Formats: sequence, C-alpha cells, structure tokens
Amino acid sequence: MSKPIFETIDELPTKNVTTRVLKALDFAAPGEWHNTVGFKNTIREVTGESDPELIQAIGDRAVWLFNDKNEGYQRALWLYQTVDKADSALGAAALANMVGEKIPLLGFLNKVTPKADQAQAIDLTLKLVVEVVAFCQINGIPGDSLGDFLKALREYGGESLMRMVALVCLDAVIPFGPDFIQAVGSQLNQLNPTDLENNPFFSQVQKFIPGGTATSRLDFIGQSFEGVQGWMGDLVTSRGLTQKQITDNLSRFVEITDDRLDYLAAFLDMTTDYYAHTGTQTLARRLIERAAAEV
Amino acid sequence: MKRWSILLSSLLLSSWLFLTACTATPPSDFEAAQNASTEKGATAVVEEAIAGSQFNAFFPAAEGDYDVVYTQEKTGFAQAKLKQSGTDLAVLSIADITSNPSAADKYANSTNEINGYPTVEQGKNGTGALVGDRFQVKVQSRSEDFSASDRQTWLAKFDLDGLAALQ
Repeated sequence: MSKPIFETIDELPTKNVTTRVLKALDFAAPGEWHNTVGFKNTIREVTGESDPELIQAIGDRAVWLFNDKNEGYQRALWLYQTVDKADSALGAAALANMVGEKIPLLGFLNKVTPKADQAQAIDLTLKLVVEVVAFCQINGIPGDSLGDFLKALREYGGESLMRMVALVCLDAVIPFGPDFIQAVGSQLNQLNPTDLENNPFFSQVQKFIPGGTATSRLDFIGQSFEGVQGWMGDLVTSRGLTQKQITDNLSRFVEITDDRLDYLAAFLDMTTDYYAHTGTQTLARRLIERAAAEV
Repeated sequence: MKRWSILLSSLLLSSWLFLTACTATPPSDFEAAQNASTEKGATAVVEEAIAGSQFNAFFPAAEGDYDVVYTQEKTGFAQAKLKQSGTDLAVLSIADITSNPSAADKYANSTNEINGYPTVEQGKNGTGALVGDRFQVKVQSRSEDFSASDRQTWLAKFDLDGLAALQ
C-alpha cells in the first residue's frame, strides 16, 4: 500500500535545497510558485474555504480518490517521484546543515560526476514525457494525447509552470546553453533504442510511456520534445534566459564557478527533487479540486 | 563481553524509546477515510458512473471575453475553468454522485432552485445544484470578484434539463 496522500503532502519540505533553487528561479516565472505544503493547508488555499467540516469532507473524498488505483493519481505521483529521485548520499545528509548558508560547490566536486550529453538529453526528455503522461493520468486524458497536453501547457500556471520553467533552466539551459533545442535534438537523433533501454530512468518508467517497443517509445519521446520546442523556445526568448542569468540567481546560495557548469548541473540533479516536489503539489491541487466539486 | 551486552541493551532500549516516541504522533483527521478506502474491494468511483466526456455538452459555452477551458475529465466527473480575459474566475463542474450519494444530503432542506432544480450555497465559495437526484452541478469562485449571484447566473447557463435526461 502506498503512503497516505495526506502524509505525503504534510511532509513536503518548507525549506531545503529544492525550495531554494525554485525560489531563485522566480525571475523566470515571477510570482507563480508559492511553496504550499500541508494537506489541510492546500485544501484551504485551493478552495478558499475555512469551515473545518467542509475541509474534512473535501479531504476525505480526496483520500478516497487517491487510493482508487483506477483514478491514475497514484501512478502520476509515482512517475513524478521516480523520475526525480535525488541522490540520497549527497542529498539530505551532506546538505542538512547548509540550509541558510552558501553551499560551496567546489567542496563537492569529488562527489559529483557530470553527465555525458547523451545521458543529460535523455534526462531532460524523459522528464518531459513524464509530464505528458502524468498530466494525462491526473486529468483523465488518454496517455498519448500529446495535442491535449500541448494545448494545456499554454494554460500552465503556479507550481506546474514553475516545474516546466525549472526543467528548461536546470536541465536544458545550464547543461546545454540557450541553444539547447538544437543540441538535444541532435543527441536524440543519434540515440538508438538500446541506448535508451540501458538508461536506468527509462527502464523504470518505460511501461507508462506510450508505445509497445523501445523504438516506438523513442519516437514518442522525440515527438514530445518536438511538440514543446516552440513553447520552450518562446520561454527562453521572452525571459531572455541565459546560463549567466540563471547562475547569477542561483549563486545567492551556491558558490559557482562559471567554467564548472556541467558540475553545477550534476550537483543540482543530485541534490534537488523539484519534479517530485512540484509534481506532488500539482497532484494535490487537482485531487482537491475534484474532491471539492464532488462533495 | 559484559560491557558489550550492557551497550547492546542500552542501544535497544533507546531505539525502543525512540520508536515509541514516533508512534505517539496523534492520528490524522483523515485516518478513517484512509482505512476505509484501502479496504479490500473499496472503490471511489462506482462502475455505473457515467463517463465524464458525456457531461461536456451540458457545460456553458464561452461567450464574449469569457472562456471555458476544460481541465479534468474522469469517470463520473468533468471540470472546466471559467476565465475572463485570461484570469481565473471560477471552476465549473458536473459530478455523478452515484459514487458518493451523501453529497445529495445537503439539498434536502434547500429552499432555492434554478430552473426547478434545488440549489445550495456551500462554504464561502460554492453553489451547487442537484439534477435528477444524480448529478451535482457546481460553480466555485476562484476570484473575490466572482460573487454568489455570479455563481447562480453561471449555474443557470448549464443545460440542466439536458443533463437530467442523461440518466
């Protein structure tokens, strides 16, 4: 049995490396993300209600809906959590005492291994596909409905928009630069199904990616990336996103040297779980919205 | 040897104390729902619930600078956002309450109606109508400028008679 949803939402951290990174990225999506944590608190924020009886009724219905496996909420949460497991060895323990002070990246260089471009490209595009699949699971749309997702992406706001913005900043612009669309596209073109099957993230989430074989799943990954290119490109242009601008904002709490951006990308990958964090918040909102409509 | 056993016993004792302290957390207010919904055979949505896609036709249409953007569509449920010039005003929904019939209770003492269907105000931000004793149509404000009377106006824009004929 999976963990109760109210516990998962109650236990979302109020302050850690992930929340500090997301706050540092506020410049790219001003005012969009507030770190709403706690089950009852989220119910109050989503619905604007304060009556304890009504909040109890909404929460109870949300618990029922989450626990019904056919409703897709558990699968969506699992996907968000799985694609973004922070490396525990470097995560919690090593950084526990560093919340509130600057993290010296240099001190971690021996513990961090930058990813090869291909692995980084798989990471980025798999996170994107997980967003498509989780979106469909949460909202009740067939899993291969890329068109519906792309339409909805233009409507993204709050923590969902922040997740996509963080994806572009942390998993695309930092490792590949502002021309990442071309760089990642050429990595995908060179990728064969066996490379994909050897990727540990892929092997975990593949059964939920549309397509019966690694080849057709690779096609879906390519189509997903192609589909969001326009949106990503617009974001980079409209916000003028550059490596320098992003690292300047992150440098408020991580000491960064400009020639070590591959290490910075790997370090952030290992120490943050922004997909799982904001994905849980998105799921909580949709679940509560539905529960509030049904009670 | 004796020192080791003392060390081991104190270690075990402290772990036991630690664990007992952990379990002393008061149970959540949602524990009962958690237990009931994870019992064998428990289901949140009954089989006979109508597919959400069938509800879309009964939602209000977009008009002027008002936009209706569909968000969730599940078995027994469909939801859309009501927006005006890009700003969220309200959430519109239709739910088949066969899965949670107690939702109908609040309409028993209803004194108001829209097009002959009983309505209630729920909390600060919600207005609901019960259609054919089976469907709950709701409008929930998501903006302070969207009042109870706005909610009633938009409830009346649903095709409630069409929905009633669905069952």
